Amino acid sequence: MGKINDILSPFTAWKHLIREPLTIKKPLEREGADRYRGFHKNEIDKCIGCGTCEDICQNAAIDLVPVEGIETKHGDSGLRPKIDYGRCCWCALCVDICTTNSLSMSNEFTWIDEDADNFLFVPGADAKPWDNSEKGWKKPNYNLYNPNRVEMNELHPEERDKSFIEIVQGYSKGQALAEADRCVECGICTATCPAQMGIPEYIKAIRNDNLEEGLRILYDTNPLPEICGRICTHKCETVCSVGHQGDPISIRWLKRYIADQNPSEKFKKILGTDTIEQNGKKVAIIGSGPSGLSAAHYLALMGYSCTIFEKLPLAGGMMRYGIPEYRLPYDQIDKDINYILSLGVEIKYNTTIGKDITLEQLNKDYDAVFAGTGLHLGRSTKIPGSDNKNVYFATDLLREISLGNEIPIENKIVVIGGGNVALDITRSMARLQNQKYGKVNIITTSLESEDIMPADREEIIEGREEQAQIIPGWGPIEIEIENDKVKGLHVVKCLSVFDEDGRFNPKFDENIKNFFEADMIVESIGQGMDLSYLSVSIKENLEMDNRGRIIVNKHFQSSIEWLFLGGDIIQGPDVIHGIANGHKAAIGIDNYINNKK
Amino acid sequence: MKEIINKIEKLYPISDFKQQNDKTALLTVEQDKAVDLLIYMQKFEGFKHLAILTAVDWIENNQFQLSYIINNPELKMDLILRVFIDREKAEMTSIHNLWEQAATYQRELKEMFGINFPNSPRVDKPFILEGWDGLPPYRRDFDTKKYSEDTYFPREGRTKNNPVEYMKQKLYPDE
Amino acid sequence: MSKLFNIKEDRSLFPEKNEHGKIDIDLSSHKYLKMWHGPQHPGITGNMSLEITLLGDEVMDCETHVGYLHRGFEKLMERRKYIQCFPIVCRVSVPEPDFNEYCFAAAMEELAGIEIPETAKWLRTLVLEMARLASYLMWIGGQAGAFGQGIIGQWTNYLRDSMLDRFEELTGGRVYHMYIIPGGVRGLLPAGFKQRMEENLKFIEQMMQDVDKVMFNNAVFKKRSVDMGIIEKDWIYKFGITGPNARAAGIPLDVRKDNPYLAYPELDFETITASHSDIYNRADLRRKDLLLSIDLIRQIMAKMPDGGEIRAETPNVLHWKVPKGETYSKAECTRGEYGYYMVADGTEYPRRINVRGPSYTHAVSLLEKMIINCNLADIAGLMVSLHTYPPEIER
Repeated sequence: MGKINDILSPFTAWKHLIREPLTIKKPLEREGADRYRGFHKNEIDKCIGCGTCEDICQNAAIDLVPVEGIETKHGDSGLRPKIDYGRCCWCALCVDICTTNSLSMSNEFTWIDEDADNFLFVPGADAKPWDNSEKGWKKPNYNLYNPNRVEMNELHPEERDKSFIEIVQGYSKGQALAEADRCVECGICTATCPAQMGIPEYIKAIRNDNLEEGLRILYDTNPLPEICGRICTHKCETVCSVGHQGDPISIRWLKRYIADQNPSEKFKKILGTDTIEQNGKKVAIIGSGPSGLSAAHYLALMGYSCTIFEKLPLAGGMMRYGIPEYRLPYDQIDKDINYILSLGVEIKYNTTIGKDITLEQLNKDYDAVFAGTGLHLGRSTKIPGSDNKNVYFATDLLREISLGNEIPIENKIVVIGGGNVALDITRSMARLQNQKYGKVNIITTSLESEDIMPADREEIIEGREEQAQIIPGWGPIEIEIENDKVKGLHVVKCLSVFDEDGRFNPKFDENIKNFFEADMIVESIGQGMDLSYLSVSIKENLEMDNRGRIIVNKHFQSSIEWLFLGGDIIQGPDVIHGIANGHKAAIGIDNYINNKK
Repeated sequence: MKEIINKIEKLYPISDFKQQNDKTALLTVEQDKAVDLLIYMQKFEGFKHLAILTAVDWIENNQFQLSYIINNPELKMDLILRVFIDREKAEMTSIHNLWEQAATYQRELKEMFGINFPNSPRVDKPFILEGWDGLPPYRRDFDTKKYSEDTYFPREGRTKNNPVEYMKQKLYPDE
Repeated sequence: MSKLFNIKEDRSLFPEKNEHGKIDIDLSSHKYLKMWHGPQHPGITGNMSLEITLLGDEVMDCETHVGYLHRGFEKLMERRKYIQCFPIVCRVSVPEPDFNEYCFAAAMEELAGIEIPETAKWLRTLVLEMARLASYLMWIGGQAGAFGQGIIGQWTNYLRDSMLDRFEELTGGRVYHMYIIPGGVRGLLPAGFKQRMEENLKFIEQMMQDVDKVMFNNAVFKKRSVDMGIIEKDWIYKFGITGPNARAAGIPLDVRKDNPYLAYPELDFETITASHSDIYNRADLRRKDLLLSIDLIRQIMAKMPDGGEIRAETPNVLHWKVPKGETYSKAECTRGEYGYYMVADGTEYPRRINVRGPSYTHAVSLLEKMIINCNLADIAGLMVSLHTYPPEIER
């Protein structure tokens, strides 16, 4: 029976003869699934050309190429991914890791073209029919790297608001490794760093736990890593590609980690600077701020004997006298400076150029002169009442605090300004008020509204944590004086600070007024340079532009060929710019001296 | 697993025992006793199934590691037996008499790593790479990238740019 | 009759062997014909050829030749970061790539000490069973086709295509899914997936009844496959045979039961075995295994959590260093024990990855033994019944 069944049963296949066919009639028109990984799309304006897609592509199918209409600027390399579909394996890892979330895939999988070279194109730049397709593979909701920053340990506001102990406590090894792990090594940051530090490289050294290598990379471009690791304005972090879909890498804290972990007594051995061949040439440097120290460091490495002339009793310039100790402890400044001094650099303290020795004399005694004298003169708002004796400049007060001198602390203080210096003086005064009166009563007001305040975001947050009131968006018009005593500050609402061309041109609404009570007012709206050390004949020969700025070439050489200038006086207030200037000036001085003979 | 190890510890020169997970263990054995141990494990301890025989090139130590992964179907245990042999004199006793498929594994190892297994059937016959006379390609010193660059040519019309270099060129042209 | 034609009853004794167990083949005698069977031929998904020596139409000697698909994956992986290996591994075995993805990810997660989320565990199990189903469906067509029943191949390949539609929906790819990423999986079930899957499964079940009637209850198929290509029980361990080939001989080797991984401990199923491993029984066992897969998919879809995390937190994949160590991770694929032996040396690159494809043992030493005395016309059927995917032989 079974056998007969085996013969008859296969004939049931015939019933399929009358079935509707299952084939897809127009296969080219079949749509891929919603998640299908088809041809790439790229939102070209969102893309920053970081090349992470290229790095992860195991087939080397992606090249970064310049694209017309996309300019290279800070935070955008101007390159865009070009995909070779002869190699692409459609894994979509490039989409998953895309830092800006600009790259995605359409669900289009059919495209017929007779020229194989057409399958090599830049998605987003070369228009394709699927550019506007909604469907296809998008970045899933998991992360191939951690988008969230490792929290930094900080002193609690209550612990810190009475003392000048450093607030930021630095990363532990585990934290630093975790933070360094987040870096995608794109290197977009490098171009934005004024000193063009090898940021991805030293972060890699942290990952490899090779901190000596890390230190060498730091000193290639930056001789003040402890200082920069604390107070650098970290422009790099503002362009960090990881920051587009999360927090940027804490580049500054990682730099500090490398510097902190290497003991100062080992620096010379690690950096291979135990013996430096001297070339017998001498360079004079005016000012021991970041640019002067940087120039001295790189000149010393080249074999020059450098002498720094410093007006104040200790070295560091604005880093010591302008930045409060809770942000940058003095022993850390000393660590960086002592290393530079160990290279044979000499500092003459309490020596003012123009008074103790003239610039002309320096020219005679030395082969070249570098001046990084900084911006130490406070600028005034020049509003009525600002000439009162209870109205101070922030830079003066900060310098006095650092020198250990007592400064006047009143019950009610108002600070005018919205930059980092304003916040520095606010938070310093808040601490002193707290020490003296047991409470804080300080108001900081700025022209700029909160979103465009030039101070670092964390400064504002921390200032408020320390009970300072920060009230942005007001323009000062008059300081009320009664019986030669300050009573308070009259302000009006500031509507905008810059005009359409981006020039400083504040607009006010005179009808919205406010009054901040105060018995002491601090102005912190910028600093000016003090060029009194230049003699009349030098000033006459020094080329300046119509706004009074000294003109220098790319090596920071002025029109007086033996005089090089750099730092805040040239580039505006910023440590890392100063360091970069000093480095470039050192190269320029070397060229100048070598060509002179 | 532990009992078996305690037992064979007395009989064979083994070391580096590690319980990798509850189903897999690792063990290193001296080269000259390795096949004895395999026979013992197969005949007396029920490790009847050979899953893998392969090699790892530790070029920095001038050694090959041979890994015999054997399985006990009753205990459901995998044991990775490691044998370190000299890289210069890469030779090992054949186990094709214990497991038939070992001959194939050994033939592949001869071809890919240059490890000889004397008397293993067809061990000198090319398996995958007919007509190959270069360095055995799975050795660490065989550079696949260089090989492909020498053998093939890149696609025309492709240029690469490094964002760091490119940005430097564009933003700081004078440096 | 046998006396009259002087045919020895036991074919395996013919022709006479020398003391090495081989026959002396003298090609100049003009008795023998040497020919290539392959590399393109019915019987195998991929390229592999047999160099066979025939006497009449009976195979006297055979040697397997591979190397047509060698892409050197194991070597390529040594030069790629771990995450970059992930798109490669699926290509080791074309019709069921997911086992590669799973074994690779599992080995790596074990060495790196990563626990995957519960949802990912279930999704992985689902994908592996879907892959098994798709692979069996394709195989059934191949087995039937090798014996001249083209229609079965058309039906089951359509069924496989319907599974690929589900794969496409879930993973974004039809053939290479690249779904089981180290750390978890790459997506949750899309809306309405379960319902469409159920429709698919129903359709497959319905069609399988037709396959049953046309292929298995078929006098021709039985005539050609019963008692053909027998695998003896005592060969199993000797040749390293696993999976359905071993189970059909009565040895219940099934990694899903023996070393339960992912969500298998929570699923209700029995290992299917048979007592006599010939082509017919192996085919029948695979048919039952296929139906078991359908059952398992239903169980998974009923039990799996609906949402949740799909990928564990891992280090940045661009510089993921796996700690030094070695491990062997395995899974049961349609052909048997699929395994990845991974050696990590603490760098960003794997030191060595060795893939154990079950075909490796089945298609070389075992096939070379089984094929002797086989009729030329039966070779394709025999090869398919071992269920071989050549790319995993040479990787």
